[in-house]
Amino acid sequence: MALPPPDPQFVLRGTGAEVQTLHFYCGGQEPDYPILLSGSSNGLIHVWNLKTRRVDTILDGHGGKSVYWVEAIYGRDRLLSQGRNQKICLWDLAEGRNTVTDSVFTENVGFCKCSLLKVAQGHWLMAMPGKDLDEVQVLELPSKTSVCTLKPEADAKPGMPMCLKLWQPDFGSCPFLLAGYEDGSVILWNLSGGKILSRLVCHQEPVMSLDFDSEKTKGVSGSSEEVLTVWSLDEQQNLKVQKTQKLVNAGIADVAIRQDKKILATAGWDHRIRIFGWKKLKPLAILDYHTATVHCVSFSDHSRPSERLLAAGSKDHRISIWSIYNQTSEALHCPLETRKPN
Amino acid sequence: MHSAYGDIILTLYQPSTLPHLGFAVSLLLALAEQEKAKQIKLAALKCLQVLILQCDCQEHHRLLDTVETRQCGNLFASFLPGISTALSRVITGDIKQGHMVTVSAIRLFYHTVSLVMADEQLATITKDEEKPSVEQSRLSELVVHRGPDWVKSTADKLSLLIHKIVEFASLHPHWKVRMELVELVHHLMLKCSQSLVESVGHLLKALVGLVNDESNEVQSKCHEILRSIAELRTVAENRALADVLSENLHSLATALPRLMNSQDDQGKFSTLNLLLGSLKLLGPEVNIVLNSAAHLQRLSKALMQVLELDVSDVKIIEERRWGPAGSLGEPSGSLQHGLRESKCQKKYFRFFIDERIFSLIQQICRVLGYYGNLYLLVDHFMGLYSESVVYRKQAAMVLNELITGAAGLGVDVLQERETAVSTEDLKGTITSILEEYIDQANWSLTTSIDTEGTSDELTVKHSRARAIPGGAHSSSLISSFSPSSDPSPTIRSMNSNIWQICIQLEGVGCFAYVLGKEFRLLLASVLYPVLEKAGDSTLLISQTAIGTMVDVCHACGYDSVQNLINANSDYLVNGISLNLRRVAHQPHASRVLEAMLRHSDASLLPLVEDVIRDVLSALDQFYDDRASSFLGVLSTLVAALVQWFVVVKGKEHPQEQNLEQQSSTSSQKQGKGSVITPMGQEVEQFLLDYIKQKQIAEGNLPAMEEQEEEVQAPHPEPEMNDTGAEGETPLPAHAQIAKDVMERCIHLLSDKSLRVRLKVLDVLEFCVTVLHLHENQLLPMAHRAWPALVTRLINDDPLAVLRAFKVLCTLAETCGDFLRRRFSRDVLPKLAGSLVTQAPVSARAGPVYSHTLAFKLQLAVLQGLGSLCEKLDLGESDLNKVADACLIYLSAKQPVKLQEAARSVFLHLMCVDPDATWLFLNEICCPLPYEPPHPSLHAVKLGGMGRQRTEFTDNVLGLLGELQRRETAAFHARPQEAPEPHPPSLPEALG
Repeated sequence: MALPPPDPQFVLRGTGAEVQTLHFYCGGQEPDYPILLSGSSNGLIHVWNLKTRRVDTILDGHGGKSVYWVEAIYGRDRLLSQGRNQKICLWDLAEGRNTVTDSVFTENVGFCKCSLLKVAQGHWLMAMPGKDLDEVQVLELPSKTSVCTLKPEADAKPGMPMCLKLWQPDFGSCPFLLAGYEDGSVILWNLSGGKILSRLVCHQEPVMSLDFDSEKTKGVSGSSEEVLTVWSLDEQQNLKVQKTQKLVNAGIADVAIRQDKKILATAGWDHRIRIFGWKKLKPLAILDYHTATVHCVSFSDHSRPSERLLAAGSKDHRISIWSIYNQTSEALHCPLETRKPN
Repeated sequence: MHSAYGDIILTLYQPSTLPHLGFAVSLLLALAEQEKAKQIKLAALKCLQVLILQCDCQEHHRLLDTVETRQCGNLFASFLPGISTALSRVITGDIKQGHMVTVSAIRLFYHTVSLVMADEQLATITKDEEKPSVEQSRLSELVVHRGPDWVKSTADKLSLLIHKIVEFASLHPHWKVRMELVELVHHLMLKCSQSLVESVGHLLKALVGLVNDESNEVQSKCHEILRSIAELRTVAENRALADVLSENLHSLATALPRLMNSQDDQGKFSTLNLLLGSLKLLGPEVNIVLNSAAHLQRLSKALMQVLELDVSDVKIIEERRWGPAGSLGEPSGSLQHGLRESKCQKKYFRFFIDERIFSLIQQICRVLGYYGNLYLLVDHFMGLYSESVVYRKQAAMVLNELITGAAGLGVDVLQERETAVSTEDLKGTITSILEEYIDQANWSLTTSIDTEGTSDELTVKHSRARAIPGGAHSSSLISSFSPSSDPSPTIRSMNSNIWQICIQLEGVGCFAYVLGKEFRLLLASVLYPVLEKAGDSTLLISQTAIGTMVDVCHACGYDSVQNLINANSDYLVNGISLNLRRVAHQPHASRVLEAMLRHSDASLLPLVEDVIRDVLSALDQFYDDRASSFLGVLSTLVAALVQWFVVVKGKEHPQEQNLEQQSSTSSQKQGKGSVITPMGQEVEQFLLDYIKQKQIAEGNLPAMEEQEEEVQAPHPEPEMNDTGAEGETPLPAHAQIAKDVMERCIHLLSDKSLRVRLKVLDVLEFCVTVLHLHENQLLPMAHRAWPALVTRLINDDPLAVLRAFKVLCTLAETCGDFLRRRFSRDVLPKLAGSLVTQAPVSARAGPVYSHTLAFKLQLAVLQGLGSLCEKLDLGESDLNKVADACLIYLSAKQPVKLQEAARSVFLHLMCVDPDATWLFLNEICCPLPYEPPHPSLHAVKLGGMGRQRTEFTDNVLGLLGELQRRETAAFHARPQEAPEPHPPSLPEALG
């Protein structure tokens, strides 16, 4: 008999609005505690102290419009946030400040979250939806100069970009961008040429989210249908569908692969978080806690594997924190898990 | 001897004079031993003391240098056996010889011994070994060479003697003797601790044993000496001594359980004192002992056995907290109680009853924690904790004290430790201990036999018992014990569980104390379990938990428990909501929520709101089996809401009503008492009111709003705005909650279980109270609840009817007009009918009847009916129905209480419609004839005129008198604001 799925380790309350995005930052040395950034639909960004499980700081910089992407940059003291007020803000949190030091105006009004990639020390690339509906713009940070604008040919008509993922095969080489579009296709862009390398139509409905494992060069995407698609990238830079996983209920709002590339979490519109083994997409667990649509999932990047957490933010204003599959011994207690050493 | 000074005297102490000296010594000893006269004995001892150059008289003596001392030492070594045995005989001789003799004998003894066996002398002797042997052969036989062998054998023999002396003298009745003994120990420990290693044990035993002597001087001396010994670090530097001490400890630990069994409290006390003393002396060296597994094992086992609790007391389980059913006023009282109480619950141990012994054991543990390796100790005792249930309580107790000691709190030590345990280490250790404590397996233990099912029964029984005035509380519980075949083992184990929980709770308090503000971080995991226990039904546990809360509160720097809960409510809410997800934990979670609500205030609401949603959704899932446990929470919740929100508004409410009143009676409200309102205006106002009322009664809601606006216009009171703007603004959180709860209650009103139904009715009543300012919400809910409520009122268990009637009264208070039609259609006929049918029964019944449920029901209905009529503003025909039904109860044959209640109905009726009532009453009995004022009018004919005196006469006359009085009072007092809510107007219609 399978054990009942675990309870959340704890639940963070008090955002006062739907939680749209989550981002962990666990770097830093001992006195620094891990933090969790959350962006909610009332335009506030909460900085949670995961040690006391309380809000450290509340940032208000998006004029009450929903914040749907937050990420830490330059360690814990700077963060980027993207809001529905068409602004991407750079925050300075050092020494108790909480001011917006810089901001970029996006001309796009969609829901597409940005993607950030560190290309060198002190240099980042940020992909964001562009001015035209189907356009993606890549900026270099901190200079904010445009690196390229990726616009599909006129006859391709993939619709708006829905989700972006910048990645690099190995450090220093030319970065690529994976983008999921409204028509259900995933396109691989080469940033240096601004060319489409490959296009894969893997969903009937818009691609809601995707994540990519650059080691195994395979990725996963979820859409508003009841399937989860895993596709891989071969040496010729062609995207191929590898596997589709049927789900009971439709709608995947977010997917996330854990840093150790062992498990995958999805945020479902059916209020559930699903955990899959990344290797074979084996269903491992269904985490049922929320009472409304789960908007986002995120894995922590804590240096100690046993303290790595999973966070999920939901429409019910709560953020649930889970401690799952993070101990090797736990595999023994959890019959759902059949992890093989690899 | 005294006259001899300087070098001369030294010549006496040459080896050559040995035989002469020997003669003198033996003579003196014989004198001291055998002589009867005290004076001579003393003189002999004194003389002997002078002889060995240890005179303590005032005169100045030349101090001997080390070489000379050594010579003397050599010389007297020969006499040592003789002197010491003889002296020991003197010391242990008859007590009647007087303490002076004993004292001086002891003094002489230690002087002699310390002269001969002094460590520094012996240390030098080994080097110049062969020197003394150059003397003449015969004498050299007498001279003793104090080599290591000699020292050893002498020490052996001395140790026997010392043992004897110590045994004897430490129990000597005279304090001076004991004082001298302390001196002896001091001297010997100071000078001969190496040579007399084997006696150290005895010496220390004496010393430590005398630490708590009756005489203060002895005590302080002992302390001083202990401290000095510890400061000298003799122990640290002397491995042999440490070995002896640890060996001592070992044997003591081994013997401890046996001694604890056999000795009396005094004996136990001194034994433990000894243990404590050795630990203190060992100081940091205690780790050497602890590192040996055998020693640690012995010691811990001994502690485990000594600390065994007596768990056979039945009272512990029996004492229940009846709080949850009771009022909200109780917790604050119990909280203060907790503050006043001493830090922990008094424990009952199997092997001792003396409190001092327990505090001694506490000290022992603390000293262990202070010096010992914390990790090692904690690990070991955690092992014991998880090893067996038998040890669990004791181990927890020891752990609590260890941690306290490790933090250096509450320990009394002789020397500082080198390194204090760092806060980080402490925190780590405490966290792991706490984890173990609050693990489900160690925390959720059975502490009472009532599972869900039996508790239901019990509580019903209890509530029935309460219905009978003066019903005994605990009787129902005891009776439930008796039928089971052999209750004692379960009681024992439950007692043990209770104690375990208490000890763990105390532990939490200790840890908080140790960590101070650092403990705040741990609150995330600890507060929920503690609060869970604070709501426990076992008195002992809940008291301890409350005590713990207070401790935590102080430690973490919160002003009050309320503050603590408020500041950490997010943690609690988290725990509650997670636990609600597990069916088995739901009762606990609801208990915590209850406790939280009880100890908190309105500022908590935003957070609670979130968890209430969880509760409600959990309730939705488990309507059938869990309803009763959730209802507890809901009832606490709404009761809390009533307390938080309605009390405040309730204060304003009468004022508001007053204003309304004022505005309706006197439309221009300038000057309160000065303006006399003309009668005509009043009539006009009355008619206007009447029209409005009528409109509302017909369900014409706009009219009501109109009225509200009208009232609102002249008095823009904030609370009026509140009701007026209801439609647009979102409902305040508390009202929303009350509404949600009420919605659930509607479904549960027709639950199968009577208990649930009763509870639901209670909750419903509270909900109505909370919602009474939000009419727009309340009325639809009332509409929906009505059918179920009517069923309760009409055909249900009398208990339920009783409660339902109460709800009805509350409901009527808040939405009177709304209910008028329904009441007169659905309920009134039934009520009136039942009153009528019951009347003959109660009229015939004897005195016992007043204890029956039927009686209570009658009484309640009669008591409530009057105000109900008034609130609902019933129509004439309904009023007649009520009057008819109540009339029977005015009969003198009815029980007095019912008569009173019936009278009250009529008094209320008078308020509603004085004229009709007057007429009605006069139909029954008319005291005076009424003459028409003018012959053109018809003569008044009333049914009651000229009737015989009947059973009703007394009451009716009384009522009429009251009516008359009111009329006149109202007539005269009108300008000064009538006191009644609806003053009888139009009195002139009477004539």
